[in-house]
Amino acid sequence: MIVVKPGHRLRALIVAGSVWFGAAAAQAQSPGVTATEITIGALGPLTGATSFMGVPGRDGMQLAVDEINQAGGINGRKLKLDFEHAFTPAESVAAAKKLVEDDNVFVLVLASGSTGAAAAADYVREKGVPTYNLYGATPIIRTPFAENVFHGAMPSATDSAQALVDRVFQANPKAKKVGLLVGTYAFPQANKGAVLPLLQKKPVDVVVEEFDQGARDFTSQLLAFTREKVDAVIVMGSFSEAGFAIKQAPEKGLTNVVWVLDGSAVNDAVVPILGDKNPPNVWGYSNTPYFPAQSVAATSKFRELWTHRYGQPPQGRPNIYDLVAYGDTYVLAAAIKNAGNDLSWKTLIASWSKLKDVKPSDLGGLDVVYPESFTETDHQGNRLMGRATIKDGIWQVVPN
Amino acid sequence: MAELLMTIVGGIKIGAIYALAAIGLVVIHKATKTVNFAHGGLVMLGAFATYEMVVVFEWPYWMAYIAVPVLIGALGALLEFVVLKPLRRADLFTVIIGTIFLGTALSEAYRLAENSELLAVPALFTGPPLLIDVGSDVVIFTREQIWVTLGALAVGTAGVAIFRYSSLGRSMRAMASNSRGAQLCGYSVEGVYGIAWFLGSALAGLAGVFAAPSKGVSPDLAVSIVASAFVAAVIGGFDSLGGAIVGGLLLGCVETLSAAYVSSSLSMAISYFLLFCVLLVRPEGLFPEAKRRHV
Repeated sequence: MIVVKPGHRLRALIVAGSVWFGAAAAQAQSPGVTATEITIGALGPLTGATSFMGVPGRDGMQLAVDEINQAGGINGRKLKLDFEHAFTPAESVAAAKKLVEDDNVFVLVLASGSTGAAAAADYVREKGVPTYNLYGATPIIRTPFAENVFHGAMPSATDSAQALVDRVFQANPKAKKVGLLVGTYAFPQANKGAVLPLLQKKPVDVVVEEFDQGARDFTSQLLAFTREKVDAVIVMGSFSEAGFAIKQAPEKGLTNVVWVLDGSAVNDAVVPILGDKNPPNVWGYSNTPYFPAQSVAATSKFRELWTHRYGQPPQGRPNIYDLVAYGDTYVLAAAIKNAGNDLSWKTLIASWSKLKDVKPSDLGGLDVVYPESFTETDHQGNRLMGRATIKDGIWQVVPN
Repeated sequence: MAELLMTIVGGIKIGAIYALAAIGLVVIHKATKTVNFAHGGLVMLGAFATYEMVVVFEWPYWMAYIAVPVLIGALGALLEFVVLKPLRRADLFTVIIGTIFLGTALSEAYRLAENSELLAVPALFTGPPLLIDVGSDVVIFTREQIWVTLGALAVGTAGVAIFRYSSLGRSMRAMASNSRGAQLCGYSVEGVYGIAWFLGSALAGLAGVFAAPSKGVSPDLAVSIVASAFVAAVIGGFDSLGGAIVGGLLLGCVETLSAAYVSSSLSMAISYFLLFCVLLVRPEGLFPEAKRRHV
């Protein structure tokens, strides 16, 4: 039995008090976390050529945050979204620094595509802030592996490259010559680096043509494909670039080819550019189980929710980036919830790395993304990709 | 051979749109001596109005071809009355800066109103392309190519005819030639300037209707069209309406041929090189209105 002498009782109280105050202080020092609130920082382009990702990124995240807060928050704390505009690489680094160092956010979400994710990669690795890469396919954010960086519904360039090559040969098993129409910016270049080795393993000739971001004229590229008599063209770029390339193709003599569109081009906004509600031979893949306009319960409810919050949507919205931002915010919320009340970067990273088959409906949301799983050595949440084509004026996931 | 023919037809299509925009620029300059750098903004608004009518309200396409030029023309006349009339006695640079910032304001207002990278407008004519046998080759034309080329050139030619042969055109030419003399003959400065801005802006709006399906609607459209229209007008002689048509077609063909046989990313550079060569060799343009006098 331990007997505490009266003189020592005061000393023990002081020690216990110091420990309690120390712990409280340490808890208070966890950035972006108060007794009532957790601040999530996010960055992405709200204007410019890639705003079709950043604006839905902000809106989708805010929808999920609102829903989670209405349901009582996470372990008694409300979520708060602090979104910074960042379009160029320099803006992305500056926004990440501002959010982490000035705004003291608890977790950083990159809703910026490959350009922003690649730019911020070194900073987030060095800082150790828990980071969720929503859209960036670039290997720069994935390699070398960092224990604080997680990736959501959008798979790596290697995984999506395999899906692109598969779509070509599903549509035309006899294809002998494949064209690659590639943007000169980060996302398409990352995917080109992954697709080329896969195509070179197949018995096909490959013709590569490049274009600048925001291009509307593809004369030289399409004529090159016509001269080479390609059977299929894989387009790596945005929906507007893909749309105008496909639209111009007949004018340049390129007809009856299979078109396979990469990630961000698989967007309903491409349909009015094509001017055809059922264009033949246009294929892609989907990072989500359904497309936003597809008539299934989850997406119908999502559109209702979106319209209720933001009003009548503009052309092409909500898009797949709205779905991913919404669904992945729920995945992040699940990681925060499992980390418990004693929130720190360390506890969040540990809890995140143990998530298995987590989906939005676990916290009352809509299942608009595939279930995501993480381990300590694998931070890619999703690897599933559906087969997609345009039917009745919208992109639809169809059976393989 | 077939490839070259298709490339030239593609160049003529885009050149016809440049020509239409350039004619609007020249009409305003001829009548009011104002170089309208806000012209691209009016083209962009024409394309945006087409999007609203055809896609949002789902009105028939022909209504856009009729209503958009009237709307944009009226907006142009209003801008002249509100913004440029107070600058009428200002020096040339003030007016130029005024139109530059007017163009910027139009683009930025659009950017604020439409939070979207690009609005897509369907083509008037869809369906399979037309295949024409040329020897052993097949030349492919789309219906949209034929419509845009013929439609834009027909409207451009009508614009030239109105300016040259109608009483409206006479009043504008009179004002351009001698403002004081025209006033003494009974022409109103306000009326003629208003009509010139209405006509020039209506042509810009119509260029927007023709350009919307092939270029989409975005603030970038304002810059790309005004730059090309300006080059086309300068090549043509800046005060020559016929020259603007030829300049537009020439520019469209040079851009497309250089994209086809050099590089797409060099097409604009080559266009400016063409402009530089024309200014170097024939600074008055290919079709100057004023005749040289040797004294």
